[in-house]
Amino acid sequence: MSNVSLTQAIPMLLKAVPRSRNFEAVLLFWVAGIHAFALAQIQLAVSQRMSWDMLYYWAPPTISAWILHYVLRKYVLNADGLLLPLAFLLNGLGIAMIYRLDLAEITRGGEDLFAERQVWLSCFAMLMAAIVVRLVRNPLVLRRFPYLAGAAAVVLLLLPAAPVIGRTFNGATLWIAIGDLSFQPGEIAKILLAIFFAGYLVSRKGPLSEIGSRVLGMRIPRAKDLGPILLFWVASMAVLVIQRDLGTSILYFGLFLVMIYTATGRGFYVGIGLVMMVTGALVASRLFGYVGARFDSWLAPFATENYTAPGGSYQLVQGLFGMAHGDVIGAGLGSGFPQLIPLAESDFIFAALGEELGLAGIFAILAIYLLIVYRGLRIANTHQDDFSKLLALGFSFVLGLQVFIVAGGVMGLLPLTGLTTPFLAAGGSALLANWSIIALLLVLSDSSLRRVKE
Amino acid sequence: MSELALFLIRIGFVAVLWVFILSLLSVIRADLYGRRVISRIAKQNAPMLTAGSAASLGIEDGDSFDPTEIAVLTGRTAGTNIPLENKKEVLIGRAPSSDMVISDEFASSMHAKLVHVGPDWVLQDLNSTNGTNLDGKKITTPVTIRPGMTIRIGTTTFELRS
Repeated sequence: MSNVSLTQAIPMLLKAVPRSRNFEAVLLFWVAGIHAFALAQIQLAVSQRMSWDMLYYWAPPTISAWILHYVLRKYVLNADGLLLPLAFLLNGLGIAMIYRLDLAEITRGGEDLFAERQVWLSCFAMLMAAIVVRLVRNPLVLRRFPYLAGAAAVVLLLLPAAPVIGRTFNGATLWIAIGDLSFQPGEIAKILLAIFFAGYLVSRKGPLSEIGSRVLGMRIPRAKDLGPILLFWVASMAVLVIQRDLGTSILYFGLFLVMIYTATGRGFYVGIGLVMMVTGALVASRLFGYVGARFDSWLAPFATENYTAPGGSYQLVQGLFGMAHGDVIGAGLGSGFPQLIPLAESDFIFAALGEELGLAGIFAILAIYLLIVYRGLRIANTHQDDFSKLLALGFSFVLGLQVFIVAGGVMGLLPLTGLTTPFLAAGGSALLANWSIIALLLVLSDSSLRRVKE
Repeated sequence: MSELALFLIRIGFVAVLWVFILSLLSVIRADLYGRRVISRIAKQNAPMLTAGSAASLGIEDGDSFDPTEIAVLTGRTAGTNIPLENKKEVLIGRAPSSDMVISDEFASSMHAKLVHVGPDWVLQDLNSTNGTNLDGKKITTPVTIRPGMTIRIGTTTFELRS
C-alpha cells in the first residue's frame, strides 16, 4: 500500500463493499419473505386456497426494492443499511392489508379496489427514490435555494384551496385533482419545508440563539428575531383555516418548533410555540364548526349525538371496536372484519392492522417506525455538517410526528385528522413523499459516513 | 384449512415480524457500544509531505513567519479562527474529520493540507476536484505560505496570521 498514491488508494478502498449494503440485501430477502407470508395467509384465510394472484401483489414491489438497492450500491455505497428494508416492510404490509380489504370488497360485490393501484404507486415511488438518490448525491446542493423551497411549499399548501382543482373529502381540503388524477400536495410540502427550515436556520442560528435580554433566568429573543416564529404561526393557522385540517397544521408547526429548538438550543421557542399552537387550536375549535366537531368526536366518541352525526365518530368507534376484537395477538390476517371500518384502506389502515395483527402486531409496526426515526436521528447526530444535521433531524421528526398524530387519532388519543399513515395507507402522493424522504436520508447518511468508512 | 393451522399461522406471522425487528438490534448494539474506526488512509497515505521529506521536494527556506491561527475571510464560516499552536499538520476538506471543515459543494472531502515544516507552513493540494488557489493561482506542487497570502478553496478564503 505504501507505494500507492492517494488518488489510487481511495477508489481501491471504496470498492470494498461496506457491511451495510450486504446487510441490506439480506434484510430485503427477509422482508420479501414476510410479504409473501402475509399474502399467502390472507388468501388461505379468505378463500381457503392459495392462488398465483399473489405474485401480482408481491413481485413488482420486490423488484422495485431491489432496483433501489442496486442504485444505492452504485451511488451511495455507505448509506444506512436499515432504512430501505424497514420502509419496504411497511410498504408491503400496507399492500397486503389493502389486498385483503379488496378481497372483502369483492365478496360484498363492490368495485372500489385499491390494491392494484397501490402496487404500481409503490413501484413508482421506489423508482422515484432511486432517481432522487442519483440526482442528489451531495445533499449540500439542497442548501442552494432555501427560499425557493419555502415559497414552493407555501404554493403547494395553498393549492387545495384553489377554485378549479381543489378537492375536499371528509371536511378536509387537502387534495387537488386534475381529471382522474388526484394528489395531496401537502405531503410534498413537508420535504420542501424541512429543506427551507434547515437552510434558513443554519444561516440565522447565531442571532436567534445568542441575542436577547435575560428575564427570570430565561433569555428572551429580540422582537425582530421573534418575527419568523410569529410568521410561521400565522401560516400554520392559515393552513388550519384553509385546509380545515388540524393534523396538517400541527405537523408543520411541530416540524418548525423542533428544528428551531435544535438549531438554537433554546427551550423558549418550544414553550412559546406550544402555547401559541394550543391557543390557536382551541380558538379554532370554537370558531369553526368542522374543527369543533372533530374535538367533540374525540372527547366523547360513544355519545349518541356524535356517533350518529354525519362525519361524526362512527368511523372512530368502528376502528376502536375492530382493535378491541383484535385483542393481543390479533384475529389473523384475513380473519377479522376490518372492512366494516369506513376508509379502512387509507385513513384507518392502522385500525385494520390493529384488528388483524393485534396489539403485538401493532407494537411491531410502531417499532418499525421507531427504528426508521431512530436511524434518521442517528444520521443527524453523526453528521458534521450543520445543514445536513438539521435536514436529517427534520425528516425523521416529521415522519415520527405524523405517525404519532395518525395513530393517536385512530386510537382516540388525539382528535382525528386527515393525515395519512406513512408507507401503509393507500395513496400515491404520500408514498412518493415518504420514499423521497427515505432517499434523502440515505444520501445524508452516505455523506456523513463516507469519511468514517475510509 | 383447519382452525389449528390458521391459529399457528396467525401466531407465526406476528412472531416472524418480531424476530425481524429483534434481529436488527444486532446493528443497533454497535451504535450503543461503538464500532472501532480504523482510518487506513490517514495512517498509510496522508504523510506524503512531512518535515523530513520536505527538503527532497525542493521547498526552500525563507524568512521566518510563525503564524498562530488560520483566519477565515469569506465563505460560510467567515470570521472564525482556527488556532495552529502545537499542530504538525492541518487537514482541510469537506470530510467531518478534517481539522478545518469546509461545507462547500466545491470542496473535496480531503481537499488540501497545511504541513508545519521547520518554521514554515507548507500548503499542499490533495488532488482535489476543483483545486486550491494561493493568491489567485492554482497550486500544483507544495508551496510555502508567506505572510499575507490568501488561500481559496471553493468559496472559502482564508489566510495565516501570527
